[in-house]
Amino acid sequence: MPYYIGDVIQDQKKLIARTPEKFREGGIDAQLFARVEGIDPARGEVALQDGRIFPYDVLVMATGTSAFVPELPGLDLPGVVSLRNLEDAIHIKTWLKEKNARRVVTIGGGFIGLEMSEALSAAGIATTIIHKDPLPANRWDPALSKVILEELQANGVEFVGGASARAVEKGTGAPLRVLMDRGDVEADLVLLAIGVRPDASLARAAGLKIGSTGAIAVNFSQQTSVENIYAAGDCCESFHRVSRRWVNIPLGDIANKQGRVAGRNIGGRPMTFDGIVGAQSFRLFSLQCAATGLSEKEAAEAGFSPVSNITWGSAMAPALGIKKIGLKLTADRSTGRLLGAQAVGAAGAVGRINALSVALWAGMDLDQVGYLDLAYSPPYSPSWDIIHNAAQALSRSL
Amino acid sequence: MAKNLVIVGGGAGGGSTAAEAKRNDPSLNVTMLEQGKFVAFAA
Repeated sequence: MPYYIGDVIQDQKKLIARTPEKFREGGIDAQLFARVEGIDPARGEVALQDGRIFPYDVLVMATGTSAFVPELPGLDLPGVVSLRNLEDAIHIKTWLKEKNARRVVTIGGGFIGLEMSEALSAAGIATTIIHKDPLPANRWDPALSKVILEELQANGVEFVGGASARAVEKGTGAPLRVLMDRGDVEADLVLLAIGVRPDASLARAAGLKIGSTGAIAVNFSQQTSVENIYAAGDCCESFHRVSRRWVNIPLGDIANKQGRVAGRNIGGRPMTFDGIVGAQSFRLFSLQCAATGLSEKEAAEAGFSPVSNITWGSAMAPALGIKKIGLKLTADRSTGRLLGAQAVGAAGAVGRINALSVALWAGMDLDQVGYLDLAYSPPYSPSWDIIHNAAQALSRSL
Repeated sequence: MAKNLVIVGGGAGGGSTAAEAKRNDPSLNVTMLEQGKFVAFAA
Protein backbone atom coordinates (compact mmCIF):
# COMPACT_ATOMS: atom_id res chain seq x y z
CA MET A 1 0.00 0.00 0.00
CA PRO A 2 2.81 2.51 0.61
CA TYR A 3 3.85 1.99 -3.03
CA TYR A 4 0.30 2.78 -4.17
CA ILE A 5 0.20 5.98 -2.11
CA GLY A 6 3.56 7.04 -3.58
CA ASP A 7 2.18 6.37 -7.08
CA VAL A 8 4.81 3.67 -7.71
CA ILE A 9 1.75 1.46 -8.14
CA GLN A 10 -0.78 3.66 -9.89
CA ASP A 11 -3.80 1.42 -10.20
CA GLN A 12 -5.56 0.43 -6.96
CA LYS A 13 -6.95 -2.65 -8.74
CA LYS A 14 -3.43 -4.10 -8.71
CA LEU A 15 -3.62 -4.30 -4.93
CA ILE A 16 -6.75 -6.41 -5.00
CA ALA A 17 -5.87 -10.08 -5.33
CA ARG A 18 -9.49 -11.03 -5.96
CA THR A 19 -12.62 -8.93 -6.44
CA PRO A 20 -16.01 -9.81 -4.90
CA GLU A 21 -17.12 -10.81 -8.43
CA LYS A 22 -14.20 -13.24 -8.70
CA PHE A 23 -15.09 -14.71 -5.33
CA ARG A 24 -18.72 -15.08 -6.46
CA GLU A 25 -17.63 -16.82 -9.67
CA GLY A 26 -15.76 -19.23 -7.40
CA GLY A 27 -18.92 -19.90 -5.45
CA ILE A 28 -18.00 -17.68 -2.51
CA ASP A 29 -20.52 -15.09 -1.35
CA ALA A 30 -18.38 -12.05 -0.50
CA GLN A 31 -20.46 -9.44 1.35
CA LEU A 32 -19.08 -5.91 1.66
CA PHE A 33 -20.04 -3.39 4.36
CA ALA A 34 -21.04 -6.37 6.48
CA ARG A 35 -20.25 -5.29 10.03
CA VAL A 36 -20.52 -8.07 12.57
CA GLU A 37 -22.30 -7.18 15.81
CA GLY A 38 -21.66 -10.42 17.65
CA ILE A 39 -21.12 -14.16 17.49
CA ASP A 40 -23.17 -16.75 19.36
CA PRO A 41 -21.17 -20.00 19.45
CA ALA A 42 -23.96 -21.86 21.31
CA ARG A 43 -26.48 -21.19 18.52
CA GLY A 44 -23.88 -21.13 15.76
CA GLU A 45 -24.89 -17.71 14.49
CA VAL A 46 -23.24 -14.49 13.40
CA ALA A 47 -25.33 -11.33 13.84
CA LEU A 48 -24.65 -8.27 11.70
CA GLN A 49 -25.20 -4.70 12.81
CA ASP A 50 -27.85 -4.34 10.10
CA GLY A 51 -29.86 -7.11 11.77
CA ARG A 52 -29.08 -9.97 9.40
CA ILE A 53 -28.26 -13.35 10.93
CA PHE A 54 -25.88 -15.86 9.31
CA PRO A 55 -26.04 -19.39 10.73
CA TYR A 56 -22.81 -21.39 10.51
CA ASP A 57 -21.55 -24.93 10.89
CA VAL A 58 -17.96 -23.72 10.75
CA LEU A 59 -16.80 -20.17 11.49
CA VAL A 60 -13.48 -18.46 10.71
CA MET A 61 -12.22 -15.39 12.51
CA ALA A 62 -10.08 -13.31 10.14
CA THR A 63 -10.58 -9.90 11.72
CA GLY A 64 -7.04 -8.60 11.19
CA THR A 65 -5.65 -5.68 13.12
CA SER A 66 -6.57 -2.20 14.13
CA ALA A 67 -4.08 0.64 14.10
CA PHE A 68 -2.74 1.56 17.50
CA VAL A 69 -3.81 5.14 18.07
CA PRO A 70 -2.08 7.07 20.85
CA GLU A 71 -4.02 9.39 23.14
CA LEU A 72 -3.09 12.79 21.82
CA PRO A 73 -5.19 15.90 21.43
CA GLY A 74 -6.11 16.76 17.85
CA LEU A 75 -6.05 13.30 16.31
CA ASP A 76 -9.66 13.84 15.18
CA LEU A 77 -8.58 16.66 12.85
CA PRO A 78 -9.07 15.96 9.14
CA GLY A 79 -5.75 14.88 7.61
CA VAL A 80 -4.63 12.83 10.62
CA VAL A 81 -4.72 9.26 9.33
CA SER A 82 -3.53 5.72 9.89
CA LEU A 83 -2.86 3.13 7.21
CA ARG A 84 -4.54 -0.18 7.85
CA ASN A 85 -6.46 -1.06 4.71
CA LEU A 86 -7.02 -0.10 1.12
CA GLU A 87 -9.71 2.43 2.01
CA ASP A 88 -7.18 4.24 4.20
CA ALA A 89 -4.65 4.12 1.35
CA ILE A 90 -7.12 5.61 -1.14
CA HIS A 91 -8.14 8.26 1.37
CA ILE A 92 -4.48 9.22 1.96
CA LYS A 93 -3.65 9.33 -1.75
CA THR A 94 -6.71 11.46 -2.54
CA TRP A 95 -5.95 13.83 0.34
CA LEU A 96 -2.33 14.27 -0.76
CA LYS A 97 -3.45 15.09 -4.32
CA GLU A 98 -6.24 17.48 -3.29
CA LYS A 99 -4.03 19.41 -0.88
CA ASN A 100 -1.12 19.36 -3.31
CA ALA A 101 0.84 18.10 -0.33
CA ARG A 102 4.46 19.09 0.20
CA ARG A 103 5.19 17.54 3.58
CA VAL A 104 3.95 14.57 5.59
CA VAL A 105 4.75 14.02 9.24
CA THR A 106 4.85 10.37 10.26
CA ILE A 107 4.59 9.48 13.92
CA GLY A 108 6.46 6.20 14.39
CA GLY A 109 9.73 5.01 12.83
CA GLY A 110 8.93 1.34 12.36
CA PHE A 111 8.96 -0.32 8.96
CA ILE A 112 5.59 1.08 7.79
CA GLY A 113 6.76 4.59 8.61
CA LEU A 114 10.04 3.94 6.80
CA GLU A 115 8.43 2.40 3.72
CA MET A 116 6.02 5.33 3.56
CA SER A 117 8.85 7.86 3.55
CA GLU A 118 10.35 6.16 0.49
CA ALA A 119 6.97 6.00 -1.27
CA LEU A 120 6.16 9.65 -0.53
CA SER A 121 9.60 10.75 -1.63
CA ALA A 122 8.97 9.06 -4.98
CA ALA A 123 5.86 11.24 -5.27
CA GLY A 124 7.91 14.36 -4.50
CA ILE A 125 6.60 14.77 -0.95
CA ALA A 126 9.01 15.43 1.92
CA THR A 127 8.68 13.43 5.11
CA THR A 128 9.50 14.06 8.73
CA ILE A 129 9.53 10.98 10.96
CA ILE A 130 9.00 11.48 14.68
CA HIS A 131 10.24 8.47 16.64
CA LYS A 132 10.42 7.85 20.38
CA ASP A 133 13.84 6.20 20.24
CA PRO A 134 17.08 7.77 19.01
CA LEU A 135 17.32 5.36 16.03
CA PRO A 136 14.65 3.97 13.66
CA ALA A 137 13.56 0.31 13.49
CA ASN A 138 13.56 -0.66 17.18
CA ARG A 139 14.22 -4.38 16.99
CA TRP A 140 17.42 -3.75 15.06
CA ASP A 141 20.93 -3.58 16.37
CA PRO A 142 22.01 0.08 16.72
CA ALA A 143 24.92 -0.49 14.31
CA LEU A 144 22.46 -1.52 11.57
CA SER A 145 19.81 1.05 12.54
CA LYS A 146 22.50 3.68 12.04
CA VAL A 147 22.86 2.55 8.42
CA ILE A 148 19.07 2.80 8.06
CA LEU A 149 19.17 6.33 9.51
CA GLU A 150 21.97 7.34 7.12
CA GLU A 151 19.93 6.06 4.19
CA LEU A 152 16.96 8.18 5.32
CA GLN A 153 19.11 11.28 5.65
CA ALA A 154 20.87 10.72 2.33
CA ASN A 155 17.44 10.75 0.70
CA GLY A 156 16.22 13.92 2.37
CA VAL A 157 13.98 12.36 5.01
CA GLU A 158 14.05 14.27 8.26
CA PHE A 159 14.29 11.93 11.23
CA VAL A 160 13.54 13.36 14.66
CA GLY A 161 14.66 10.68 17.11
CA GLY A 162 14.11 10.53 20.85
CA ALA A 163 11.04 12.74 20.47
CA SER A 164 7.33 12.44 21.15
CA ALA A 165 4.39 14.18 19.61
CA ARG A 166 2.33 16.02 22.23
CA ALA A 167 -0.59 17.16 20.10
CA VAL A 168 -1.79 17.95 16.61
CA GLU A 169 -3.45 21.28 15.87
CA LYS A 170 -4.39 23.44 12.89
CA GLY A 171 -1.33 24.91 11.20
CA THR A 172 -0.71 28.31 9.68
CA GLY A 173 1.50 27.55 6.65
CA ALA A 174 -0.01 24.10 6.19
CA PRO A 175 -3.28 22.47 7.32
CA LEU A 176 -1.73 20.76 10.36
CA ARG A 177 0.94 21.33 12.96
CA VAL A 178 2.46 18.63 15.17
CA LEU A 179 3.65 19.82 18.56
CA MET A 180 6.60 17.85 19.89
CA ASP A 181 8.35 17.93 23.24
CA ARG A 182 11.00 19.89 21.38
CA GLY A 183 9.93 22.07 18.45
CA ASP A 184 6.93 21.96 16.13
CA VAL A 185 6.57 20.86 12.55
CA GLU A 186 3.85 21.68 10.02
CA ALA A 187 2.39 19.16 7.62
CA ASP A 188 -0.27 18.60 4.98
CA LEU A 189 -0.92 15.14 6.39
CA VAL A 190 -0.06 13.39 9.65
CA LEU A 191 0.34 9.63 9.46
CA LEU A 192 0.06 7.58 12.63
CA ALA A 193 2.34 4.58 12.22
CA ILE A 194 2.98 3.53 15.79
CA GLY A 195 1.91 -0.03 15.21
CA VAL A 196 -1.10 -2.26 15.00
CA ARG A 197 -2.95 -4.44 17.50
CA PRO A 198 -4.66 -7.73 16.72
CA ASP A 199 -8.38 -7.13 16.48
CA ALA A 200 -9.71 -9.83 18.78
CA SER A 201 -12.68 -8.02 20.29
CA LEU A 202 -15.38 -10.13 18.60
CA ALA A 203 -13.49 -13.32 19.49
CA ARG A 204 -13.11 -12.24 23.10
CA ALA A 205 -16.80 -11.37 23.36
CA ALA A 206 -17.66 -14.79 21.92
CA GLY A 207 -15.62 -16.46 24.67
CA LEU A 208 -12.73 -17.69 22.51
CA LYS A 209 -9.40 -18.12 24.26
CA ILE A 210 -7.10 -15.12 23.77
CA GLY A 211 -3.34 -15.67 24.02
CA SER A 212 -0.87 -13.64 26.07
CA THR A 213 -0.13 -11.53 22.97
CA GLY A 214 -3.72 -10.30 22.87
CA ALA A 215 -4.34 -12.25 19.67
CA ILE A 216 -6.67 -15.23 19.26
CA ALA A 217 -5.11 -18.49 20.48
CA VAL A 218 -5.05 -21.29 17.88
CA ASN A 219 -3.60 -24.79 17.54
CA PHE A 220 -1.47 -26.02 14.63
CA SER A 221 -4.64 -26.69 12.61
CA GLN A 222 -5.67 -23.01 13.04
CA GLN A 223 -8.51 -24.08 15.33
CA THR A 224 -9.46 -21.80 18.22
CA SER A 225 -10.52 -23.00 21.67
CA VAL A 226 -13.96 -23.76 20.16
CA GLU A 227 -13.83 -26.78 17.86
CA ASN A 228 -15.83 -25.43 14.91
CA ILE A 229 -14.27 -21.95 15.00
CA TYR A 230 -10.96 -21.35 13.22
CA ALA A 231 -8.82 -18.23 13.00
CA ALA A 232 -6.33 -17.02 10.41
CA GLY A 233 -4.19 -13.96 9.79
CA ASP A 234 -3.14 -10.95 11.83
CA CYS A 235 -5.86 -11.50 14.46
CA CYS A 236 -4.40 -14.81 15.68
CA GLU A 237 -1.14 -16.15 17.06
CA SER A 238 1.47 -18.29 15.34
CA PHE A 239 4.09 -20.62 16.79
CA HIS A 240 7.62 -19.22 16.77
CA ARG A 241 9.92 -22.14 16.04
CA VAL A 242 12.99 -20.53 17.61
CA SER A 243 11.54 -19.20 20.87
CA ARG A 244 9.01 -22.09 21.02
CA ARG A 245 6.42 -19.49 22.04
CA TRP A 246 3.19 -18.32 20.49
CA VAL A 247 3.62 -14.86 19.00
CA ASN A 248 1.63 -12.38 16.93
CA ILE A 249 3.46 -11.08 13.88
CA PRO A 250 1.02 -9.28 11.57
CA LEU A 251 2.34 -9.92 8.06
CA GLY A 252 0.41 -10.73 4.90
CA ASP A 253 2.49 -13.77 3.95
CA ILE A 254 1.78 -15.45 7.28
CA ALA A 255 -1.92 -14.60 6.94
CA ASN A 256 -2.06 -16.24 3.50
CA LYS A 257 -0.48 -19.46 4.78
CA GLN A 258 -2.65 -19.66 7.87
CA GLY A 259 -5.72 -19.05 5.72
CA ARG A 260 -4.82 -21.86 3.32
CA VAL A 261 -4.15 -24.25 6.18
CA ALA A 262 -7.47 -23.35 7.84
CA GLY A 263 -9.16 -23.83 4.44
CA ARG A 264 -7.56 -27.24 3.94
CA ASN A 265 -8.71 -28.43 7.37
CA ILE A 266 -12.23 -27.09 6.88
CA GLY A 267 -12.36 -28.57 3.39
CA GLY A 268 -11.43 -32.04 4.67
CA ARG A 269 -7.78 -32.33 3.57
CA PRO A 270 -6.03 -31.82 6.92
CA MET A 271 -2.64 -30.24 7.37
CA THR A 272 -0.85 -28.22 10.03
CA PHE A 273 0.76 -24.80 9.95
CA ASP A 274 4.06 -25.52 11.64
CA GLY A 275 4.94 -21.99 12.56
CA ILE A 276 7.26 -19.17 11.64
CA VAL A 277 10.83 -18.08 12.30
CA GLY A 278 10.10 -14.34 12.16
CA ALA A 279 11.48 -13.54 8.70
CA GLN A 280 10.71 -10.06 7.39
CA SER A 281 12.12 -7.50 5.01
CA PHE A 282 11.63 -3.98 3.76
CA ARG A 283 13.26 -1.73 1.22
CA LEU A 284 14.41 1.76 2.06
CA PHE A 285 15.45 3.67 -1.06
CA SER A 286 18.49 1.69 -2.24
CA LEU A 287 18.95 -0.22 1.01
CA GLN A 288 17.71 -3.76 1.54
CA CYS A 289 16.76 -4.50 5.12
CA ALA A 290 15.85 -7.96 6.37
CA ALA A 291 15.74 -9.85 9.66
CA THR A 292 14.81 -13.28 10.91
CA GLY A 293 14.64 -15.17 14.19
CA LEU A 294 15.11 -13.53 17.57
CA SER A 295 16.81 -10.32 18.63
CA GLU A 296 19.19 -10.65 21.59
CA LYS A 297 16.51 -9.31 23.93
CA GLU A 298 13.91 -11.77 22.64
CA ALA A 299 16.45 -14.62 22.87
CA ALA A 300 17.22 -13.80 26.51
CA GLU A 301 13.47 -13.64 27.26
CA ALA A 302 13.08 -17.09 25.70
CA GLY A 303 15.70 -18.52 28.08
CA PHE A 304 18.74 -18.59 25.77
CA SER A 305 22.08 -16.99 26.56
CA PRO A 306 22.53 -14.97 23.37
CA VAL A 307 25.87 -14.02 21.89
CA SER A 308 26.14 -11.85 18.77
CA ASN A 309 28.54 -10.39 16.29
CA ILE A 310 28.31 -7.96 13.42
CA THR A 311 30.24 -8.59 10.23
CA TRP A 312 30.71 -6.11 7.38
CA GLY A 313 31.55 -7.28 3.91
CA SER A 314 30.57 -7.20 0.29
CA ALA A 315 27.63 -8.92 -1.37
CA MET A 316 29.80 -9.53 -4.45
CA ALA A 317 33.41 -10.57 -4.99
CA PRO A 318 35.54 -7.46 -4.27
CA ALA A 319 37.40 -7.92 -7.57
CA LEU A 320 34.11 -7.05 -9.33
CA GLY A 321 33.17 -4.23 -7.00
CA ILE A 322 31.93 -3.57 -3.51
CA LYS A 323 28.30 -3.88 -2.51
CA LYS A 324 28.42 -3.14 1.17
CA ILE A 325 26.47 -5.45 3.43
CA GLY A 326 26.29 -5.77 7.21
CA LEU A 327 25.17 -8.97 8.89
CA LYS A 328 24.39 -9.51 12.54
CA LEU A 329 24.18 -13.06 13.83
CA THR A 330 22.87 -14.11 17.21
CA ALA A 331 23.47 -17.60 18.61
CA ASP A 332 23.04 -19.50 21.86
CA ARG A 333 26.29 -19.52 23.82
CA SER A 334 25.88 -23.00 25.27
CA THR A 335 24.77 -24.89 22.14
CA GLY A 336 26.08 -22.71 19.32
CA ARG A 337 22.64 -22.82 17.74
CA LEU A 338 21.73 -19.94 15.45
CA LEU A 339 18.93 -17.83 16.98
CA GLY A 340 18.60 -14.82 14.73
CA ALA A 341 20.04 -12.63 11.99
CA GLN A 342 19.68 -9.09 10.70
CA ALA A 343 21.12 -7.68 7.49
CA VAL A 344 21.27 -4.33 5.70
CA GLY A 345 22.97 -3.84 2.40
CA ALA A 346 23.05 -2.31 -1.02
CA ALA A 347 22.39 -5.83 -2.37
CA GLY A 348 21.97 -9.38 -1.20
CA ALA A 349 20.55 -8.76 2.26
CA VAL A 350 17.14 -10.35 1.66
CA GLY A 351 18.56 -13.46 -0.03
CA ARG A 352 20.94 -14.07 2.84
CA ILE A 353 18.23 -13.64 5.45
CA ASN A 354 16.06 -16.10 3.50
CA ALA A 355 18.88 -18.67 3.62
CA LEU A 356 19.36 -18.06 7.33
CA SER A 357 15.59 -18.44 7.88
CA VAL A 358 15.85 -21.97 6.51
CA ALA A 359 18.83 -22.57 8.82
CA LEU A 360 16.72 -21.39 11.76
CA TRP A 361 13.85 -23.62 10.67
CA ALA A 362 16.23 -26.58 10.59
CA GLY A 363 17.75 -25.68 13.98
CA MET A 364 21.31 -25.44 12.64
CA ASP A 365 24.30 -24.47 14.75
CA LEU A 366 27.05 -22.02 13.78
CA ASP A 367 29.43 -24.71 12.51
CA GLN A 368 26.76 -25.96 10.10
CA VAL A 369 25.89 -22.42 8.98
CA GLY A 370 29.61 -21.60 8.58
CA TYR A 371 30.01 -24.29 5.93
CA LEU A 372 26.59 -24.18 4.26
CA ASP A 373 26.58 -24.87 0.54
CA LEU A 374 25.40 -21.54 -0.87
CA ALA A 375 25.10 -20.50 -4.51
CA TYR A 376 28.51 -18.98 -5.15
CA SER A 377 29.63 -16.93 -8.13
CA PRO A 378 31.60 -13.65 -8.08
CA PRO A 379 28.71 -11.31 -9.04
CA TYR A 380 26.72 -12.60 -6.06
CA SER A 381 29.28 -13.32 -3.34
CA PRO A 382 32.94 -13.76 -2.50
CA SER A 383 33.95 -17.45 -2.34
CA TRP A 384 33.55 -17.21 1.41
CA ASP A 385 30.14 -15.57 1.75
CA ILE A 386 29.48 -13.10 4.56
CA ILE A 387 27.24 -15.80 6.07
CA HIS A 388 30.23 -18.18 6.32
CA ASN A 389 32.57 -15.50 7.69
CA ALA A 390 30.07 -14.30 10.27
CA ALA A 391 29.10 -17.78 11.49
CA GLN A 392 32.71 -18.96 11.75
CA ALA A 393 33.77 -15.80 13.60
CA LEU A 394 30.90 -16.13 16.07
CA SER A 395 31.63 -19.83 16.56
CA ARG A 396 35.27 -19.05 17.41
CA SER A 397 34.13 -16.57 20.06
CA LEU A 398 31.92 -19.04 21.96
CA MET B 1 -27.44 -30.66 3.64
CA ALA B 2 -24.35 -28.66 2.67
CA LYS B 3 -22.36 -27.13 5.49
CA ASN B 4 -22.34 -23.35 6.02
CA LEU B 5 -18.88 -21.80 6.34
CA VAL B 6 -18.96 -18.20 7.51
CA ILE B 7 -15.77 -16.10 7.50
CA VAL B 8 -15.54 -12.86 9.46
CA GLY B 9 -13.09 -10.64 7.60
CA GLY B 10 -12.16 -10.39 3.93
CA GLY B 11 -8.46 -9.57 4.04
CA ALA B 12 -5.55 -11.92 3.31
CA GLY B 13 -6.47 -14.45 6.02
CA GLY B 14 -10.21 -14.54 5.25
CA GLY B 15 -9.79 -14.55 1.48
CA SER B 16 -7.24 -17.38 1.54
CA THR B 17 -9.38 -19.46 3.86
CA ALA B 18 -12.47 -18.99 1.70
CA ALA B 19 -10.75 -19.96 -1.54
CA GLU B 20 -8.90 -22.97 -0.12
CA ALA B 21 -11.90 -24.37 1.76
CA LYS B 22 -14.07 -24.14 -1.37
CA ARG B 23 -11.32 -25.71 -3.50
CA ASN B 24 -11.13 -28.72 -1.19
CA ASP B 25 -14.84 -29.05 -0.57
CA PRO B 26 -16.91 -27.54 -3.40
CA SER B 27 -20.13 -28.48 -1.58
CA LEU B 28 -19.51 -25.84 1.13
CA ASN B 29 -21.73 -22.76 1.28
CA VAL B 30 -19.10 -20.09 1.86
CA THR B 31 -20.00 -16.58 3.02
CA MET B 32 -17.31 -13.99 3.65
CA LEU B 33 -18.32 -10.95 5.69
CA GLU B 34 -16.12 -7.89 5.16
CA GLN B 35 -16.89 -4.69 7.08
CA GLY B 36 -15.14 -2.45 4.56
CA LYS B 37 -15.37 -1.68 0.89
CA PHE B 38 -12.73 -4.11 -0.42
CA VAL B 39 -11.83 -7.78 -0.08
CA ALA B 40 -8.49 -9.55 -0.50
CA PHE B 41 -6.32 -6.46 -0.75
CA ALA B 42 -2.54 -6.49 -0.51
CA ALA B 43 -0.65 -4.74 2.28
